[in-house]
Amino acid sequence: MSAEVLSTAQETEVLRAIALVDDPEYPGVSIVDLGLLEHVDVRNGVATIGLIPTFSGCPALAMIADDVAGAVRAVDGITTVVVTWLTSPAWSPARLSENGRTALATEFTVAVQIGSSTPTCPLCSGPTVEQSMFGPSRCRAVHRCESCRETVEVMRG
Amino acid sequence: MNETAEVLRDFLLAFADDEHLMGQQHTEWIGVTPFLEEDLAFSSIGQDELGHAVLLYEIVCELDGVAPTDAAIDALAYSRGAEAYRSSAFTEYGTTDWAEALIRHWVYDMVEDYRWQLVSESTHPALASAAVRAQREEVYHRRHAAALMDSLIATPARPELERGLVVVLTLLPSLFAPVAGEDLLLAEGVISRSLATTAPDVITHIAEMFGEAELGQVPADGRTIRSPHFGPLMVRMREVLDLDTEAVW
Repeated sequence: MSAEVLSTAQETEVLRAIALVDDPEYPGVSIVDLGLLEHVDVRNGVATIGLIPTFSGCPALAMIADDVAGAVRAVDGITTVVVTWLTSPAWSPARLSENGRTALATEFTVAVQIGSSTPTCPLCSGPTVEQSMFGPSRCRAVHRCESCRETVEVMRG
Repeated sequence: MNETAEVLRDFLLAFADDEHLMGQQHTEWIGVTPFLEEDLAFSSIGQDELGHAVLLYEIVCELDGVAPTDAAIDALAYSRGAEAYRSSAFTEYGTTDWAEALIRHWVYDMVEDYRWQLVSESTHPALASAAVRAQREEVYHRRHAAALMDSLIATPARPELERGLVVVLTLLPSLFAPVAGEDLLLAEGVISRSLATTAPDVITHIAEMFGEAELGQVPADGRTIRSPHFGPLMVRMREVLDLDTEAVW
């Protein structure tokens, strides 16, 4: 087996391990589904992982990096893990996967705003109106559904 | 370190120190703003400014040939002597006056936008990519400040805002003050213009809101002199750290 093939198989294992790391704010939602993973590289047992933060001042960065390092270290044949927070590209809600969006909506009543579109209510699909530009964390605003009046958190860029 | 790198280091510290101190000042409003939305806004905006300070301190670490670990960044943020900081009197000024804090937030984020624009096409790649990230976040800061100003300016709160503006305008020249040798950065394309050249535009924006505004003389001390507010601010910032300087977080 060539080193290259081995590395690819290991990369798949590493990706699988990272996909099991949840965002600390959203237990059950993978950081991969939130679009935080930018690249994975495995060479000679050294895994280099590039992540991008939702916001530069996010206080959960160290925790997420630790969780990722721990998960990857457990993969067979990985001896060293280097996790880096990249300064580019910038994160945006467009990086969320369909899975991620569905989980945020059903588990956390969190809508996602892409660009300047009007986010819709995860409960009734009605249009929402911004109540506060800033919410419980830096990546979330507080909206209210015009139709069912539910308070909706909106993940936005 | 060659001469340009030394000036760049000073320039980065000036920007980072202002971001750091402004972030700190904003976060001191947590729990005491007049209403909950402002509590969330000031803490979120402060958190962003602290994040931007980290991006800039990381580039300083690079210049110093030091790995940009949390410890290295904390050392830059908290453990230099006062003479080694390059912050402005504008961000060092401590206030418990809400009108002053609001006007300062409005003016600071206006100037900060220009400041990132100076480096958005910098020949220093790390600086240019920090600008992309920060500018995306700053949109919310300006929207927030503008929304508050628009809703308060024609109300009985106006005299309060005017009173705050007097104080903030006194401090404003210091925010435009360049570090020594800034021309070198212009010559090498690290910055596209001097921040001080944006002052007339900033004053025009302020005058559009308040009818009139004037700017005093921009200090030419190369940001080497700290204001009397720096010492007490540093004591507040280091309050927890000083309880146990060896603690592992």
